[in-house]
Amino acid sequence: MAVDITLLFKASVKTVKTRNKAIGIGFDSTKDEIFKRSRPKSGFSPRAKEVITNITKLKDFLLQHRKDYVSAGSLISSDLSRMTDNDRDQIDQDAQIFMRTCSEAIKQLRNEAEKQVISAQIKEHRGAVLDLIETYLKGVCKLYSEQRAIRVKRMFEQENQRLISEMNSLVDEVRQIEGKVVEISRLQEIFAEKVLQQEAEIDNIHQLVVGATENVKEGNEDIREAIKNNAGFRVWILFFLVMCSFSLLFLDWYDS
Amino acid sequence: FVGSLFLCCISAVALKRMLNFNAPPLKNTAAEPVWKVLIYDRFGQDIISPLLSVKELRDMGITLHLLLHSDRDPIPDVPAIYFVMPTEENIDRICQDLRNQLYESYYLNFISAISRSKLEDIASAALAANAVTQVTKVFDQYLNFITLEDDMFILCHQNKELISYHAINRADIQDTDMEAIMDTIVDSLFCFFVTLGAVPIIRCPRGNAAEMVAVKLDKKLRENLRDARNSLFTGDSMTAGQFSFQRPLFVLVDRNVDMATPLHHTWTYQALIHDVLDFHLNRVVMEEGMGAEPSAGARPKKKSRKTYDLTAADKFWQKHKGSPFPEVAESVQEELDTYRAQEDEVKRLKSIMGLEGEDEGAISMLSDNTAKLTSAVSSLPELLEKKRLIDLHTNVATAVLDHIKSRKLDVYFEFEEKLMSKSTLDKSLLDIISDPDAGTPEDKMRLFLIYYITAQQAPSESDLEQYKKALLDAVCDLSPLNYIKQWKAFTKMAATPANYGNSGVKPMGLFSRVMNTGSQFVMEGVKNLVLKQHNLPVTRILDNLMEMKSHPETDDYRYFDPKMLRGSESSIPRNKNPFQEAIVFVVGGGNYIEYQNLVDYTKSKQGKKIVYGCSELFNASQFIKQLSQLGQK
Repeated sequence: MAVDITLLFKASVKTVKTRNKAIGIGFDSTKDEIFKRSRPKSGFSPRAKEVITNITKLKDFLLQHRKDYVSAGSLISSDLSRMTDNDRDQIDQDAQIFMRTCSEAIKQLRNEAEKQVISAQIKEHRGAVLDLIETYLKGVCKLYSEQRAIRVKRMFEQENQRLISEMNSLVDEVRQIEGKVVEISRLQEIFAEKVLQQEAEIDNIHQLVVGATENVKEGNEDIREAIKNNAGFRVWILFFLVMCSFSLLFLDWYDS
Repeated sequence: FVGSLFLCCISAVALKRMLNFNAPPLKNTAAEPVWKVLIYDRFGQDIISPLLSVKELRDMGITLHLLLHSDRDPIPDVPAIYFVMPTEENIDRICQDLRNQLYESYYLNFISAISRSKLEDIASAALAANAVTQVTKVFDQYLNFITLEDDMFILCHQNKELISYHAINRADIQDTDMEAIMDTIVDSLFCFFVTLGAVPIIRCPRGNAAEMVAVKLDKKLRENLRDARNSLFTGDSMTAGQFSFQRPLFVLVDRNVDMATPLHHTWTYQALIHDVLDFHLNRVVMEEGMGAEPSAGARPKKKSRKTYDLTAADKFWQKHKGSPFPEVAESVQEELDTYRAQEDEVKRLKSIMGLEGEDEGAISMLSDNTAKLTSAVSSLPELLEKKRLIDLHTNVATAVLDHIKSRKLDVYFEFEEKLMSKSTLDKSLLDIISDPDAGTPEDKMRLFLIYYITAQQAPSESDLEQYKKALLDAVCDLSPLNYIKQWKAFTKMAATPANYGNSGVKPMGLFSRVMNTGSQFVMEGVKNLVLKQHNLPVTRILDNLMEMKSHPETDDYRYFDPKMLRGSESSIPRNKNPFQEAIVFVVGGGNYIEYQNLVDYTKSKQGKKIVYGCSELFNASQFIKQLSQLGQK
């Protein structure tokens, strides 16, 4: 188990200080401070730290809105924190732009580090620092892609649902039509049956009518005959009568 | 799981805390990166490199990791974390850095406690450079030991010759030298227990270096506990985690109790790698035709060598580091097949994606494959990592296999096991030594030394001459034998010779060809040996002490309890219950065979946790060199 001896160290520092004062050795602290300050602060470290702060901001932002983003939205629509899809798209877009910017910044830092003339150790150190930042960025991107995957999955699920309901309604309609068509065909059958029945009767009537026509024709002929006969008969009667009358007259004359 | 002894976790947590400016690391995944520079000395490097990889360091914001004594350029807008030993040169260099205004702020962490006077040196340098405000924090880390595994640690890697077996056992050692060595060892062990946050109960044998270490350690712990203001073992400084209700047992043994095991040829994966390849601090270095790999810790790049890190994250390694080698070969093949199947699956999905819109059938398959594709894509890095590990183990195992085949290590292993378990031998020792194809001269020397060490009766003069002649013919160096003779004479006086238990080695016959077609590892001619579980001497000693068993070997051991008041140094242990946690430490050096034996022992005991430590880690060839040096005096 490790033992923290920092306090012991600080106590040693005090001891040494007092000892030095006693001996008369002092240290020109101000000169050293200036000396320390005059070391150029390399631009690498603050920039790297900046990238990290940005990525952390992104992470916090994503985590903050994660609940709302992922939530399916309840029917209790009085929930103010519900997000519309537009909001979600906005978040997606912003996050992507952000991630790209961070990635660019890292690349830029890397290129600069390559070009700078510095020792191998510092190069390796900076390379490793950039690797660490990249891994961090990848971790945050993973957060983002996870929640996006959930959302997209839900979107597909919703579409699935919609398609299913559409299909269902189509199926209902088709069933209805099917029922109607069946009825129509049934009625048609009855109709055909009736028509067939009537055909027989009509044939019958047709026959009768044809017969009747014939009879009437014959009848007409007979009447014509009869009229003719009648007329001829009349002539003969008339002749007879005339003859009789003449005969009478003759007879009368004779006798006279 | 009872116990808090998860060394890797504890040490790694301590390191991570240090690297986070001594604040607990946040678990927030998308936290702002804070960058820093890490400066260490070789000790610090050895401590960090088995626990944290370069990638992990980068993830924690370390942009550069540099050696203290190297040319370092000023980077004025970055905080620097120092992790060094508080030695004269290191302090001077730190003062120089302060004067040169290299960094923006300084976090000084000392591996072991820094003395007051050295702290004042830094204070005066800081004053002179007007940099006192820049020195933000100073810590004593108490991490002066190297954690290799969750249950294994060593004291140091740099300068290990200062506390090596040779350094401790040489004939011309002075008392002052011995004192210095003991102080070094005790300092590290003290740091170990501070980090662990536990005060152990110490057991040690009498009359050797282990006893000296135990006495000094007990004294140091006692002093620290009595010092109410600065005690490091108060309740708040305990490490987080599960505590066992008991204190751990700390067993100190001397290397001299078992000299055969470090020379033994082995058959388990990790121990083999340590024996035949260049393996230290969990890193294997192999000669290859390929270019250099970037290695962690800013070590100098070696041309045409490949380095592999065998870490806790490597599942295959964790599973198989204690497995017998044939099992490892099979498992690598299995892993390769599984990997190929998965790769084909991914390829198939790829081709299906290519058919999109063209094939009606494909579109319908698309819907279930989209999920499969997502999982395939996300598992691609895993797959690539798996491939890398499979390649790594294939290369390593192949290299090991080459050694086994060319040196006939399986023969040596079998023979030595039989020697150590006093079973009947089917070959004569002389045959193996005289065989020009079997093994290097060192292998033969190792075998002979084990024979000599484990023999109940010393061989007769004529036999000995015969062996010596055969060894000299095989170009062996005989000086280790001189030392072993001395050692044997000494131990015969002291105690009963170590018993290696009844191990049994059952050869399962030669590998069948059927298994090998299509396998990378053609093990024909190599015996498939199966180990029966047996306890090496160190394991047995631990078993006796942990389970409170009575045994002539350990009954005589001393008992120290730093928490108890003086006067109770009797050897009757107060604690009657078996211990749940134990730490075994070998003074004079240890190796992976002992470690593996302890691991196997722990597996057989439910709920116990055992940690293995040693002052240095050597393989057989390094040990023989030390014996050689000792034998030449």
